[in-house]
Amino acid sequence: MRYDAIVVGAGHNGLTTACFLARAGLKVLVVEKNDYVGGAAVSRELTPGWTYSNCSYVCSLLRPEIIRALELPKHGLQVIPYESGATFNSKGEYFNYASDHDALRRELIRHDPRDADGYERYARAVMKQCRFIKPLLLRTAPDPTSFRPRDIAELLYIGRRFHGLGERDMAETVRFWTLSIAEFLDEHLRSDIVKAHLAGSGIIGTGLGPYSPGTAYVLLHHYMGEVDGSIGAWGFARGGMGAITKAMAASFRAAGGEIRTGSGLHRFLVRGGRVTGVALENGDEFHADTVVSGMDVRRTFVDHTEAADLPGDFLKAVRRYRFRGSSGKLNIALDAMPTFRAAPKGARFLRGDLHFLDDMAEIERAYDDWKEGRWSSSPYVDFLIPTQIDPTMAPPGKHYATVFVQYAPYELADGPWDDARREAFAQTVIGKIASHVPDFKDLIVHKEVRTPADIEREVGLTEGNIFQGELTFDQLLFNRPVPGYAQYRSPVRGLYMCGSSTHPGGGVMGAPGANAAREVLRDLRRKIDMGAAA
Amino acid sequence: MSLDAIVIGAGHNGLVAAARLGQAGRRVLVLEAEAAPGGLLGEAGGMRIAAMPTGLHPEVARGLALHRHGLRPGRPMATLALGGDAPLRIEGAAVTGVDAATAAAFADLHRRLARQASALAPMMLKVPPRLRDGGWGELMTLARLGLGVRMLGRAEMRELLRILLSNVWDLLNDEIGDGALAGALAMEATLGGAMGPRSPGTVLPLLYRLAGQPRVMPEGGAGAIVAALVRAVEAAGGQVRTGARVEALLAGDDRVEGVRLAGGEEIRAPLVFSNAHPKATLLDLLGVRHLDAEDVRRARRMATEGMVARLDLALAAPPRLPGGTLPGPGDRIIVAPAMGTLEAAFNAAKYKENPDRPALECHWDAGASRLAVSAQFVPCTLKGGWTAEARDRLVANVLSVLDAAMPGLAAEVGDVTLATPADIEARFGLPGGHWHHGEFRVDQMLMLRPFAGAAQYRMPVAGLYLCGAGAHPGGDVTGLPGWNAAGVALKDGRGR
Repeated sequence: MRYDAIVVGAGHNGLTTACFLARAGLKVLVVEKNDYVGGAAVSRELTPGWTYSNCSYVCSLLRPEIIRALELPKHGLQVIPYESGATFNSKGEYFNYASDHDALRRELIRHDPRDADGYERYARAVMKQCRFIKPLLLRTAPDPTSFRPRDIAELLYIGRRFHGLGERDMAETVRFWTLSIAEFLDEHLRSDIVKAHLAGSGIIGTGLGPYSPGTAYVLLHHYMGEVDGSIGAWGFARGGMGAITKAMAASFRAAGGEIRTGSGLHRFLVRGGRVTGVALENGDEFHADTVVSGMDVRRTFVDHTEAADLPGDFLKAVRRYRFRGSSGKLNIALDAMPTFRAAPKGARFLRGDLHFLDDMAEIERAYDDWKEGRWSSSPYVDFLIPTQIDPTMAPPGKHYATVFVQYAPYELADGPWDDARREAFAQTVIGKIASHVPDFKDLIVHKEVRTPADIEREVGLTEGNIFQGELTFDQLLFNRPVPGYAQYRSPVRGLYMCGSSTHPGGGVMGAPGANAAREVLRDLRRKIDMGAAA
Repeated sequence: MSLDAIVIGAGHNGLVAAARLGQAGRRVLVLEAEAAPGGLLGEAGGMRIAAMPTGLHPEVARGLALHRHGLRPGRPMATLALGGDAPLRIEGAAVTGVDAATAAAFADLHRRLARQASALAPMMLKVPPRLRDGGWGELMTLARLGLGVRMLGRAEMRELLRILLSNVWDLLNDEIGDGALAGALAMEATLGGAMGPRSPGTVLPLLYRLAGQPRVMPEGGAGAIVAALVRAVEAAGGQVRTGARVEALLAGDDRVEGVRLAGGEEIRAPLVFSNAHPKATLLDLLGVRHLDAEDVRRARRMATEGMVARLDLALAAPPRLPGGTLPGPGDRIIVAPAMGTLEAAFNAAKYKENPDRPALECHWDAGASRLAVSAQFVPCTLKGGWTAEARDRLVANVLSVLDAAMPGLAAEVGDVTLATPADIEARFGLPGGHWHHGEFRVDQMLMLRPFAGAAQYRMPVAGLYLCGAGAHPGGDVTGLPGWNAAGVALKDGRGR
């Protein structure tokens, strides 16, 4: 069967690309290995009555331009912002990261009077960096070695924007890109619990500790989102993260697109340096002159493309590309709302992201465990109970808890991930939560434990890296995924990449998917329709 | 006698600046707090901190005609890496003691890095452009740097842009695999700083070292560099006064006027060069009342935590390498069996603890029967403080690592002199005890060294110049900060 374009992988980026191509009038097929669409943005019922956001669990980064252009609200997407969040320390204290400005100020003063002003400076500095980087998200990174007018123009655009910051902020920007999150926070704030709360965003999903240079940028990556125009805010997709990809799939079908689930890719069909289609594991073959891979760069080229069709240097660079899974996940069905020892009764901040930490050094030590091939003995957890806001995810009166865990290695030093080790890992995490939430263990009705190896197997994210590859500078911008191929094209003509392995990287953002669609359509001499947003 | 310029500190950069100014006919007085000149390169408190210096930049050595002042460059030092089965010998791009494939991979990596470094090297002699509208001259400096990088060819430019901010851990694992060779290179990349081999940004110091001169032990040892520089200053009509600690800078209306010594003596000159640390220069000697708040903030937040302790061990017998051979006078011994050793030592230091197994760089001075040891990573601020017990523990840890690498050595050890980063901080006024006056990383290099707006050697009050390692291009014994600072001041003078 012949199509204008085939997209491999029905994750949020694959679907985004597919939507834009279909809306530009192409006949588009999406193929997906799992029986369901969504990739790492899924809602699944693994125990009757409960819906889990199995992988990604909160929403903020999804570009508003994409939400509007693909009319996702019309297709059922509703994002509910959650207010605040909190960190509990071992002394029985808590810090409420309130979304209300005055409440937050009072809370900061409660921990250290000087942190109220320090936080204002910190927030201003982060916001400035967000404003600088945001317009770059939906643009193709220039090739700095190229003399093509388009690349030079793009370099000049970035150069002018950078220069426009002025001497002082140019220096601040360079600093921001190279600092560790710990150093950055230390510069502005004093209270350990406040810094520990904020530092988490610098290391989530990353094989670096809060003391590692470059983690301030990772923080930015988690701050450049918004919910309904509220910058830096996070929310829940009603019905779980699958609601995002369900809306995308609906938008895609409305534009005439076709989705085939249940069979993985065997290989990309290539003839004479040109892609001609895809062969699936079930034997089906589909043909198109344009094929877009939503899989990560290693899967795409090492696992599913013949080495003979690729230049050796490219393949070497792809093999060197770093994944380094560092995150695990627990999804837990709870019989009732658990009790937090330190939280005042009815505290609204329990509706947000909760952490159990004393200071940044505790996260760093968790990272040291990971470096040695062990899961953290005292892990960093991002713990949320979305059913307080979105009751659709559990039976009445019951709750669903999502527990993101940093750090867990893809390969353990003492042997493979098996059931016993998976359970031991889960108990480490549950034990840490239970020391602050005494009735937690007793309320567990069902749990799903996902190690980096499980995430790789189920979702297809190599080594379980949630960003489809580390967000270090050697893999950002014009270096993502590999130097010379950072513009969504590959050495095989007609074969494109649209996953998080490409600029601007991971998170449920959709930007790589939209950018890839723009480049595909450009090669077909068509224009992407970004709607009123463009 | 009226002076044209005062130089604070007779470290190598202060002496280089003084000699260049003297050559240009300026009357210069160098003031040194210690009893002998040399700074970290000098003999102070019974030891020489920079016992294994890199060579002065050839432009500096040539410009000051140091050969005429008695400096005889020796051969570049060879590196002996211990920790594997047999010692590896590294000389430039050549390594022996590893299998042929690793040796070839190393030679290839060394060649590529050296080429990339050479594209960046011309920047070392340049005054960094300002980030604001700096006019054509400054833009051209940047354009030339960009062109130099582009001239590497497309593939190598891409590779450089990829690894520039990356870590040596990944680079060396990709290229040569872990082991004593990678350990020695990672040591080279991290020595003096506060970053472990896994920290992003550690490739840059390696490129910096490759762009500079190889380590050379001159005839007569490291002290010969100081002696030649002092002679160069004096031959140019300058004067070096030791035992003269500068207590404060004298400054009037936004213009420096001279210095006040401990004891109250005031010495006046229209130009003052500070070889002291930027923080010490601005916050202590000048005083915050002469600065605007932003400059104070930027000076205060410079990353200056150093993590090297120096030990001098008197040995009853020369150290013996595994296999029984003796190290030669031009040999540098590195004990860092793998990158993991360095990372583990860094783990301890980042929590302000003593490492159990520090990584070591050693040099055997047969004449003095002393083994000079640099141990990293050792924190400046130790949890619980640098008590006698903590110092003993560090010494014991160093000896146990040495004894494992060179069996029998511990039994020969007599007197031990130890300088922790805290000791170096106190003695030389270096905040954090940082050898290079500040971490070498992207946000503290070029036009950002020591900080934006003060990176052209000119400090915020007129007539005051920074000529130490806190200025571009940075640390190691290149002499370039002093050379460039004097050049800038001479140019400023001509323009007046």
